[in-house]
Amino acid sequence: MNTFTRRGALTAGALAGLAPLARPAFGQARYPIRPVQVIVPWGAGGGTDATARIVAALLEKEMGQPFNVVNRTGGSGVVGHSAIAQAAPDGYTIGMITVEICMMHWQGLTELKRTSYTPLALMNEDPPGVQVNATSPYRDIKALADAIKASRPGQFKASGTGQGGIWHLALAGWLGAMGLRADHVRWVPSNGAAPAMQDLAAGGVDIVTCSVPEARAIIEAGRARSLAIMAPERNPQFATVPTLNESLGINYSVGAWRGMAAPLNLPAPIAQQLTAAMQKVWNSQEFKDFMNARGFGMKWGDAEGLAKHMEQTDATLGAAMREAGLVRG
Amino acid sequence: MNSLLEAIAMVSTVEVAIAILASAVYGMVIGALPGLTATMATALLVPITFYLSPIAAVATIITSSAMAIFSGDIPGCLMRIPGTPASAAYTDESYAMTRKGQAELALGASLWFSAIGGIVGTVALMVMAPALAEIALSFSTFEYFWLSLLGLMCATLVARSSPIKAIAAALLGLLVACVGIENPGGVPRFTFGNTDLLGGIEPLPALVGVFAVSEIMRAMVSPLPPPIPSRKFGSILAGQIDLTRRFQKQMWRGNIIGVLIGALPGAGADMAAWVAYATSKRFSKTPEKFGTGHPEGLVESGAANNSALAGGWVPALLFGIPGDTITAIAIGVLYMKGLNPGPTLFTEKASSMYALYIVFILANLLMLPLGILMIRVSRHVLKVPRAVAMPLILLLCAVGAFAIGNNPFAVVLVAVFGIVGYMMERNGYPVAALVLGVVMGTMVEQNLVSSLIKSDGDILPFIERPISTGLAALTMTALLWPVAVWIIRRLRSPERAR
Amino acid sequence: MHLSDRVTGLFLALLGSLAFWGGSLLPAVPGQDVGPAAFPMVIGAGLVLCGIMIAAGIGHSFEAAESEEDDQAPGLAQHLGRMGWLAAFLPPVLLIFYVLVANALGFLLTAAIILLISARALGATWPMTIGTVLLAPPFVHLIFFRLLRVPLPDGLLTMPW
Repeated sequence: MNTFTRRGALTAGALAGLAPLARPAFGQARYPIRPVQVIVPWGAGGGTDATARIVAALLEKEMGQPFNVVNRTGGSGVVGHSAIAQAAPDGYTIGMITVEICMMHWQGLTELKRTSYTPLALMNEDPPGVQVNATSPYRDIKALADAIKASRPGQFKASGTGQGGIWHLALAGWLGAMGLRADHVRWVPSNGAAPAMQDLAAGGVDIVTCSVPEARAIIEAGRARSLAIMAPERNPQFATVPTLNESLGINYSVGAWRGMAAPLNLPAPIAQQLTAAMQKVWNSQEFKDFMNARGFGMKWGDAEGLAKHMEQTDATLGAAMREAGLVRG
Repeated sequence: MNSLLEAIAMVSTVEVAIAILASAVYGMVIGALPGLTATMATALLVPITFYLSPIAAVATIITSSAMAIFSGDIPGCLMRIPGTPASAAYTDESYAMTRKGQAELALGASLWFSAIGGIVGTVALMVMAPALAEIALSFSTFEYFWLSLLGLMCATLVARSSPIKAIAAALLGLLVACVGIENPGGVPRFTFGNTDLLGGIEPLPALVGVFAVSEIMRAMVSPLPPPIPSRKFGSILAGQIDLTRRFQKQMWRGNIIGVLIGALPGAGADMAAWVAYATSKRFSKTPEKFGTGHPEGLVESGAANNSALAGGWVPALLFGIPGDTITAIAIGVLYMKGLNPGPTLFTEKASSMYALYIVFILANLLMLPLGILMIRVSRHVLKVPRAVAMPLILLLCAVGAFAIGNNPFAVVLVAVFGIVGYMMERNGYPVAALVLGVVMGTMVEQNLVSSLIKSDGDILPFIERPISTGLAALTMTALLWPVAVWIIRRLRSPERAR
Repeated sequence: MHLSDRVTGLFLALLGSLAFWGGSLLPAVPGQDVGPAAFPMVIGAGLVLCGIMIAAGIGHSFEAAESEEDDQAPGLAQHLGRMGWLAAFLPPVLLIFYVLVANALGFLLTAAIILLISARALGATWPMTIGTVLLAPPFVHLIFFRLLRVPLPDGLLTMPW
């Protein structure tokens, strides 16, 4: 360690056989030949983290190299999302991106958007449900919708996440589809779905729009009811909950999705290889068991499917945010 | 009875035994590393639980988190690097004991009363989980608002300095909590266009900065302290039996506070230790000894800390509402293993529930021998000369802060809070109050704003719901009591002078 | 660095008024009576109040008189003589140094440099310093990188694990 030049150190390392110096060669080099980093923009312990960890574990089995999950938190997801976008496009840094990528740029929080990535695969989507307290007089979504229409603005209170979060936009979009103003039902910001569901059970709010798996424990405890989900079809896990379209004829759907992506300009062969491996992972029994056990919605999209899905959400959410007065910059 | 036997059979398998033992050692080691938290220890275990049977999987989570929470006290006590916001309440107390040459006694107290707290918490979980859960579910934002105010008021009690400086320090912490977009309005506040500040300032880097880095800074300009008297301790536990006798009331009070506050999701473990420490000082016969290396507060807050951990499982098991990040992970594992949280878990899967109770108790019992071993090993850290120990702590602060979110910005925060903490301490401002402000800030604001939205700006609901009335009265008493005492003294003293 | 209560009190008052002013500029949020401005403004006002009270010496009687440490610290502080108090700010400077160069130099070299400087500044002897610099970085790297999978930067030197 007496010469600090790059070459000196590298040679010393190589001579000692310490450094795996091999870099992926051009053309049809084998991929992957060293561990791959999977960046998760959210903290350890959350749903996104858990999903990324099972995907990584199965990719590792599939591709024969370690896939290490790295939580890069901070900046409400901006830091991790930009870490994925700014990594070298060599296939050794990929990441799990979430629906927030289609929201943050509308709020003027970041320049990043869906086009900052090479999409690989859509792994999951959870549509929001409409939950009410078990003692609530509204037995079905029709009754609730009628009551909301008849109420004075601000009389009903709803919660589910922070101001401008995905479930707030779900509510705003639903109200818009019913021809009401986005703030006809007043939004009570909460620190996530679990506290909101607790407040629903405590009688603090009237409605919670969060995904059904997030609400499920309270529902199964008999403290709340799910009246409908905002999705094109029913969730086989919660088959008794109808869709908005079935009962109200409103074809509005938006959901929190999670997908795998890489930095822009990832070489096409690597991207195809990764997408193919992810499809195998998605179809595997382990992944299915995991997602079903957690109640997470299974939704597949290949690279093109994810790109299309992002384009769609981006437009829907942009409209909802403009409606709710959340677009800035 | 049948399900109890079934439960014993479920626990007494080789797989579960290995899972408990391995995760105990693992949690013990990770928790003792500065900057690595019990949450991280637990999250890293999740992929392993895929391959375990349901009971073994949940056992790893229970065991490793209990161990990591205890061993998180070790760097706090020996090096003044608190592992969790909760342990910041008593870090200075145990560090003062270390400097008096009583590191083993301080750590032993943490260990012993943690284990007792854990077992009492488990018994509470077994006997009255439904009742506790009912209380937790009746807490709306109105109640949480008063509770968070009460917690915040502990700031003036835990500090050994002028109450005005303590309040100023807490306000500074609240101001730090304002930074970022995680406020009820979802508006970026005081971020100065910086992406990293958008997510706000987490308590952990602030904690490491104001405690550990400021201590290193002080070492740079202070003479070598006289060597710590290394008295040989016979048995770590013998001293604890004596403490248990002396502070029995404090121990039970700490356990009760822990269980009650711990059962409230979101408030939980972070607040319990603070409230217990403040209560202990408030009702102590010798409050002036607090902060100088006096075990009384350690007993009560240590007991509260671990019983809160068990209390946190109440809403998690009954309603799937996580009390903290650890139970959030645990809920995921429960679902994956088909032990869906809910009242049915207690009826249809009663044997599994009993098995989990047994695991809780086993983990807390196992904590004693492993903890003693850990204390014996880690006390050698104190023999390292200061000129080598402090640089190593500095390095661990950098790596640990980075490891929280793999974000270098956390290291910058640690540096900044080091300076803040150093300046505050040199000028008589208590840093613990700042930490409390950072921890409670979001909670106070969130619950105030949400409550006002729900009541359409009306303040009546803040005092007319049954529990909120009680909490409001308690808050007001706590707020006005010192003022009343002061006025009474003022009125009396001139008479005496005459 | 010990400052008088007047200085720290006035500083807090200034910070409080800045917070109040900064808070008052924040936009209102549709659907919320108490917007994001209220909380910083209340805190700012509280800080101003506390700052003025501290500057006026109220509550000073509660404080234990703190003994000012005499400048007998070994190492850098002694070396700097009358500017010895500056030595206290070396640790945060080293942390910033870590953030700036860790990616380029890698964890091992950066850690070694930080240990070298801070150990010497605290008055460690050369044998002690060199022992620490050689042994500690690989050990920390092993635990955090290998066992806990914290992605510490490789930089110029790579470890065998």
